[in-house]
Amino acid sequence: MKIRTARPSAVFAITAQTILLPLVFLLPASLSQAQIEDFTSVTDEMLTSPPTDEWLSWRGTPAAWGYSSLDQINTDNVNQLQLKWSFALDDTGAVQAAPLIHDGIMFIPSARGVIQALDAVNGDLLWEYRPAPPTEDFINSGEGTRAAILPPGAFAGVGRGVQKNIALYGDMIYAATETASIRAIDARSGLLVWETQVADPTLGYFYTAGPIVANGTLVTGITGCDRYKEDVCFITGHDPATGEQKWRTSTVARPEDPGGDTWGDLPLRFRAGSDAWVAGSYDPDANLIYWGTSQAKPWARAVRGSDGDALYTNSTLALNPDNGQMAWYFQHLPGETHDMDEVFENILIDVDGRKSLFKMGKLGILWQLDRETGEFIKGTDIGYQTIVNLDPITGKISYRDGMIPRIGEELNMCPSTSGFKSWRAMAYSPDTSAMYIPITLNCELATFGPTERQLGGGGTGPVRRVNYHHPESDGNLGEVLALNIPSGEVKWRYRTRAPFNTAALTTAGGLVFIGDWNRTMSALDAENGELLWKVRLATSNQGFPISYSVDGKQYIAMPAGTGGASWSGSLPRELTPELSRPRNGSSINVFALPD
Amino acid sequence: MIIKTSAIKILTSIAVALSLSAVSYAQDAGLIWDGVYSIDQASRGETVYSETCVSCHGQDLGGNSNSPGLVGMGFMFLWEGRTLGEFFEKIRSDMPTDRPGQLTQQNYLDVLAYILLKNAFPSRTEELSSNLDILNEITISSK
Repeated sequence: MKIRTARPSAVFAITAQTILLPLVFLLPASLSQAQIEDFTSVTDEMLTSPPTDEWLSWRGTPAAWGYSSLDQINTDNVNQLQLKWSFALDDTGAVQAAPLIHDGIMFIPSARGVIQALDAVNGDLLWEYRPAPPTEDFINSGEGTRAAILPPGAFAGVGRGVQKNIALYGDMIYAATETASIRAIDARSGLLVWETQVADPTLGYFYTAGPIVANGTLVTGITGCDRYKEDVCFITGHDPATGEQKWRTSTVARPEDPGGDTWGDLPLRFRAGSDAWVAGSYDPDANLIYWGTSQAKPWARAVRGSDGDALYTNSTLALNPDNGQMAWYFQHLPGETHDMDEVFENILIDVDGRKSLFKMGKLGILWQLDRETGEFIKGTDIGYQTIVNLDPITGKISYRDGMIPRIGEELNMCPSTSGFKSWRAMAYSPDTSAMYIPITLNCELATFGPTERQLGGGGTGPVRRVNYHHPESDGNLGEVLALNIPSGEVKWRYRTRAPFNTAALTTAGGLVFIGDWNRTMSALDAENGELLWKVRLATSNQGFPISYSVDGKQYIAMPAGTGGASWSGSLPRELTPELSRPRNGSSINVFALPD
Repeated sequence: MIIKTSAIKILTSIAVALSLSAVSYAQDAGLIWDGVYSIDQASRGETVYSETCVSCHGQDLGGNSNSPGLVGMGFMFLWEGRTLGEFFEKIRSDMPTDRPGQLTQQNYLDVLAYILLKNAFPSRTEELSSNLDILNEITISSK
């Protein structure tokens, strides 16, 4: 790898138009330590069929399998794995990193917009992009009802600042920010090339999911639509060269649009939720992207004032990346009413010649859809939930008797509002024809409460929560569930007291890598779930593990971190109080066999 | 063990002062609508809140998808009928989520005062009691 350490002075060429807000605050304090000389541009073809030794998309390929075809590290030698290097990431916010690998370089997103380029062999810092904090002028420039939600302090605390994934395309790194903008950063130098303000963060908009690139279009999904405002969540397509917005597709059916009546008579301002907070997948043959949407908000029907289906919440959307047009949608849980999110990753697998899409939401139903048409093929209820019945023929769900919440009445439900499944993505191995799914076994006595139906109000609605262990868990919170595809039969289960806190990674070496909240990173036998190797990290494993190879040597990289959404702190603290973890220690940890 | 007389006097004085303080607070432990915190204390609490709480709960205390609101209907739904002692213990043991329990007791009390202010509970000249027994006697209630 050629690195030039003496670089020219930084010049920020911001070419994108600001949509809502001044760009003054966007000029970064970008720190470039080196210029990467021999970086090769990433093409559409490379994204579609990445070299075996690279990891070019957040889940490896646009099909999002979370699978590496490398097999140097395998079931016979995994017990010899050694830490090769570790690199501390910022502890200024939540880290749920999905690193990328190209040309022997690791590009890794960290909290609050920080992106670093590291030598993938030894962890040397090549450059880092570190945005400056927003100015007072920016903070005070917001208009609308949420103008006060993001004061300066909002950018320095915990719970936000997540950027799960970034995208590589051409010579750029693309990132989506906690201030609702998209950035293009020169992959060679770490310098900001352009930044486009996509939405007004003072209205609550922000990103946690990064972009993907599909057929030459940069696609991102926004979140932050829990509060009532005069607009809704959306997915946008952008020109990668300039950041110019090419299209914007709302994730909520507007009153005048088809499906608009599924929210009853609620005006647009009271149609909240449908956040698109997990990055999508892409099928280049169909030229369709697949993106999930979250549940409606407030969570409970009785609180949000409609028992309609609330399109397009809790759906999988198939969009043309060229123009954003919706080819089809499949709503997994119409009129969802318990915070059972279905927004998560879309895994594209061809099963017996049928182009399929697999997905699992908080309820623990593994959906198989025809990804060309959106037709329901199969649903596999993993058997832990107590809320709905699933019609195996039609894929329609119906709520069990007494399971639709009423305001102020306690409901006993499994899972809890934290869900069995969350952003911790499952992985698919073509070698075993199995899906490896991180599950959190938990239930809840939930009492849903009211909220103000006014601009700036809404939100999820309050919930009195009493979490408890799932009756079938034997006191364990964590489970890796291996399901045969397409049968849905259980291949094995591996359980731990602590919940798993990362995506799963599976490899051609017959392995499943995963990390838990209690700092243990594990390698399991993909065939039978046997624990083959484990190690303790500095703090909770958190993020998206990957595998790559440089100069013929295979590596496994596991991110660690704290903070972030949902139960990352609350469930273990309440249900496994004997476990503890350091509250800092965000890092990337890279393992390989002895030299 | 040798303890100097002056030290004993000091310790005794502190004990007496604490005892008197408790008695004084106990006499003030009335309904939340009679006022249980001071404006100055709530002002200090706003500063602490802005530094340590705002990124999750928002400047308007309205919360977000992962953090409950601390004002209005949502707050009253979660806390009405429970005591300030319970609320104090909750935030002292769990907040901020990245370093629970790491603020000073005074910081937690001040934040609690600020939340009471933002929920339109009346103030008084004296600050919120630091005596948990007294806080446990003050019930969060609608007017």
